[in-house]
Amino acid sequence: MLKIALVGCGKIADAHAWQIERISGCRIVAACDREPMMAMQFCERFNVPAQYTDVQTMLREAAPDVIHITTPPESHYPLAVQCLEAGRHVYVEKPFTLHYHETQRLIELAMERGLKITAGHDDQFSHVARRMRKLISSGYLGDHPVHMESNYCYELSNTGYSGAMLGDKNHWVRRLPGKLLHNIISHGIARIAEHLTSDNPTVIAQGLISPFLKNLGESEIIDELRVIVSEESGRTAYFTFSSQMRPGLHSFSIYGNKNGLALDQDQETLMKLRGKRHKSYAEKFVPPVSLARQGISNLRTNVGLFLKNDFHMKAGMHYLIGSFYRAIEANEPVPIPYEEILRTARIMESIFDQLRAQAELRSAHIQEPAHA
Amino acid sequence: MNSSVQNERLVGPDEVILVTGASGFIGTRVVQRLLDMGFRNIRCMVRPSSEGKLKKALGPDADRVSIFRGNLLSREDCQALAKDAVSVIHLAAGRGEKSYPDAFMNTAITTRNLLDACVTHSVCRRFVNISSFAVYANGSKSTGRLLDETCPLETHPDARGEAYCFAKTKQEQVVAEYRDRHGLSVITLRPGVVYGPGNLAISGRVGIDTFGVFLHLGGSNQIPLTYVENCAEAIALSAIRPIEGSEEFNVVDDDLPSSRQFLRRYKKQVKRFRSLYLPKPASFAFCYLWERYSSWSHGQLPSAFNRNRWNSLWRKTEYSNAKLKQRLGWHPLVSTEEGLRRYFAACRGEKIHA
Repeated sequence: MLKIALVGCGKIADAHAWQIERISGCRIVAACDREPMMAMQFCERFNVPAQYTDVQTMLREAAPDVIHITTPPESHYPLAVQCLEAGRHVYVEKPFTLHYHETQRLIELAMERGLKITAGHDDQFSHVARRMRKLISSGYLGDHPVHMESNYCYELSNTGYSGAMLGDKNHWVRRLPGKLLHNIISHGIARIAEHLTSDNPTVIAQGLISPFLKNLGESEIIDELRVIVSEESGRTAYFTFSSQMRPGLHSFSIYGNKNGLALDQDQETLMKLRGKRHKSYAEKFVPPVSLARQGISNLRTNVGLFLKNDFHMKAGMHYLIGSFYRAIEANEPVPIPYEEILRTARIMESIFDQLRAQAELRSAHIQEPAHA
Repeated sequence: MNSSVQNERLVGPDEVILVTGASGFIGTRVVQRLLDMGFRNIRCMVRPSSEGKLKKALGPDADRVSIFRGNLLSREDCQALAKDAVSVIHLAAGRGEKSYPDAFMNTAITTRNLLDACVTHSVCRRFVNISSFAVYANGSKSTGRLLDETCPLETHPDARGEAYCFAKTKQEQVVAEYRDRHGLSVITLRPGVVYGPGNLAISGRVGIDTFGVFLHLGGSNQIPLTYVENCAEAIALSAIRPIEGSEEFNVVDDDLPSSRQFLRRYKKQVKRFRSLYLPKPASFAFCYLWERYSSWSHGQLPSAFNRNRWNSLWRKTEYSNAKLKQRLGWHPLVSTEEGLRRYFAACRGEKIHA
């Protein structure tokens, strides 16, 4: 029986606890939060026997095998170091760390100690993402991927999490190097990172503050991002983050030299994009029929999964956590290769470095006196 | 309540009355009411992003209040906020949408921080906690159909499937703990459905439109409406009336309409739409089956509908404001007829002149 503990009892901890409860062979033995009332409410709702406000005390007394770090990102690195140094396996929510060198250090530390670590890139393990991976492995795309397009949107409003963040100049999100983007884009970047091969791809990023935020008087939060990623092998990708475009997509398309695939995370659909063209007018009539049939097939799959009680909203997280636990118990490879976690961190750091440079440039232009 | 008691005040006109959540739907009316009563030292706590809403609502009167921009999650902000405050009206709360931790943090923890500050400063003569009908269990009360202040509270608020209910129940527990431990004079107000221009949604007690068609679930039930100005009056009185010890009050207006009457008038005066009446046995069976499925499937469908929620929202219930009238000397400033007229006019997009 694996003993699990959570550090951080906020919103995402609930999602973890729901999924852990559905996995056999493990149980949550402790929860920790600096705010005792947060730990109390979590333990009460999930029947967790021990609550703590200090991680070291929890590690010592509850002796968990695996720690899930579900705190705000600033504390991911120091907490993960403490847990690894105490000989525990660690699941770190996204974003994995604030800086690339921290990601590197955590992975090195885990490897030195013979421990496992993973990042909370759970969207990559949804049913539809796993179907896509299987097709790619079967060679559906052709020899290799040529280009990818990843969209990851977030609809900003004046309520909830975004309302709190926009209204509070000291909100923890504002302290992250990439601010709002840092907390959100990991899923969309990780999808690209999975299919790249280089450790250090070339990244060109352009960030903007949307008119919506400007009207609210916002001058720090970048909520429109366009990125081009490329590597020497010739693989390229576009990444889009938007708070304004509708629909607010969470989608990923990948094109090989033979065929393409298009995944829609929100609708849990996967469409095969046939590379070979039909002759003449057949190209106008046959593909729409094929797409309609694929739509029906996706519907059938989703309904089937629902009827089998395997279509929970966080099915990807359930799969990732379960795979991570199995990797620990059987000493097998972790579900997300370390080089992929590193590549995701490298791309994100490069994006945020460029956005920071752009912000400094804008600020310098504003301060420059106007010439007569 | 005799007229001499009605004129007695716990707070002098120049003493500090603190209002948290002052820029909200109810908060702006409470501040205006306190100004109308002649209080000259009202401290309004707002989030920096919502200061404009308060100023807009108060108009020229905005200069007569002091505005404190802060965050109740900050203990330092709470300490500064509660300094010299002899009466505290705590309206700010987080609905958390579907997140229990968010709702809890922005309701129970913020309340704890504010209470700590009040205890530290030792000048608070009255703490008014604005709670909600959501805290009542309403499943097995000894008062028959009548829901009054003696009815039991939720013992398993997490089972309601509503983060707000969980947070508000926990908030009341925190307040009760401070009341008992520190001897604070606490008045807990539990308003029903606060309506008026600024909150135009049809209450879930009438029905829901989750499934594409409006399901009318209230039927012949009374809807526990309280017009926003009436609710604000109850809150203002709670902050200033000299009452011994601590009390709880439900806040509902007189002459409450049934759900069916409300819906009929809404359709006639605002807009026509299709609705489907679900009789009580059918809605109960629906909630029961949903609850069972949610449990069996480990939350494949979240527990949004369940028996506790049915008891709270759609069980045949009657309401009373007798205690509020008797102990606080409250009476509605706006009749239900007039309140509904203003509400429907606002729903039609008309500018309201009170």
